[in-house]
Amino acid sequence: MRMRGIGLRCAGVMLGAVLTAGGSLGMAQAAGSGSGSGMPEGLPLPPAVEKELAAKAVDVTEVTLGKNMLDFAAKFMKDKDEDEAKARKLIQGLKGIYVREYTFEKEGDYSMDQIKQLRAYFETSEWSPVVHEVERRKGAAAETTDVMVKTVNGETQGMFILSAEPKELSIVLILGPIRMDELGELRGIGGLHVLKDVEKSTKKAGKEKDKDGGAE
Amino acid sequence: MRRFLFVFVCFFALLVPVGVLASGGEGGFDGVVRSIETQYHVHATRIPFLGLISFVSRKATHGGVSNLHVAEFEHFDAAMDGEELNRMVQQKLGAGWERMIRETRRNGAEQTLIFVHPEGARMGMFVLDADGHDLNVVQVSVDPDHLNESVGKYDRHEKSDKDDDKE
Repeated sequence: MRMRGIGLRCAGVMLGAVLTAGGSLGMAQAAGSGSGSGMPEGLPLPPAVEKELAAKAVDVTEVTLGKNMLDFAAKFMKDKDEDEAKARKLIQGLKGIYVREYTFEKEGDYSMDQIKQLRAYFETSEWSPVVHEVERRKGAAAETTDVMVKTVNGETQGMFILSAEPKELSIVLILGPIRMDELGELRGIGGLHVLKDVEKSTKKAGKEKDKDGGAE
Repeated sequence: MRRFLFVFVCFFALLVPVGVLASGGEGGFDGVVRSIETQYHVHATRIPFLGLISFVSRKATHGGVSNLHVAEFEHFDAAMDGEELNRMVQQKLGAGWERMIRETRRNGAEQTLIFVHPEGARMGMFVLDADGHDLNVVQVSVDPDHLNESVGKYDRHEKSDKDDDKE
């Protein structure tokens, strides 16, 4: 009788231990794989807005280039080619490039409130607006382009570009030392063709500023 | 009877961790393929002699491209939840893999996911592409320096061919 009790207790202890080990193993696996500790920092935007936009869009493109990937991309650029050497130098200094592009089926699928929320996210002391362009066309919603720059100790350490068309929304965030005149170097990277419009807008804004200055 | 009960309990107890390992333990490329098969009730088409192809590609590119894995799901027309697919791939690939590109077209009917994983001087790349008819999964390890050399050779060939044409 006593032996039976010991046998069953042993079996009970073993079962408990194995179940606990199995359970904790499963949990450890889930935690290890789900946490994604190696993931780069995502686009520092309000996640709710990002999800809302992605849910309503027909086409969504998300490009996330962390420091590792930028270093890797830089290896493909040859020093012999002057343009590629410039781009390589620029890319190596950057901390991250984030691109989000949303295409909508019809006008009004995203609201101006969402745009305002995105802009508001960068309205901090470090970020300052450089360009705010509104283009109105007859019979169509306005197109806006915003460029904000992050300045730390007098040096540009980031750039946020928001280009909103009636059926298209493009967001580009570049973190790290970058100048306006260097934007063109990055045009070759997937999803960054929006920089072409930004270059135009900044040049236009610069000319207007010059004119105003001249008039004064 | 008691011995039988003891053996039965032990057998059952051992089944638990084995089950845990078998169901969720498989990660990486095989884990993703297996999960797609289970989730969407499809079977991947195996490419014959893929090991040989991987070996040849490694030799041909002087180590530029290696560790090639390919799985093809033909006639894949199951409805996909992009968010769920992305989460599953991320979970199966595990820590260290970073999502570089996620593209969704035609309200989610077409999906492209590209993940990367730094492996010292090399970079692991995982690509999943679903175009509404087929779903392809590819994993490859790339050495940018060696690959650049190989690509450079073709660049030089192309240039010399153009020069010959001009003459």
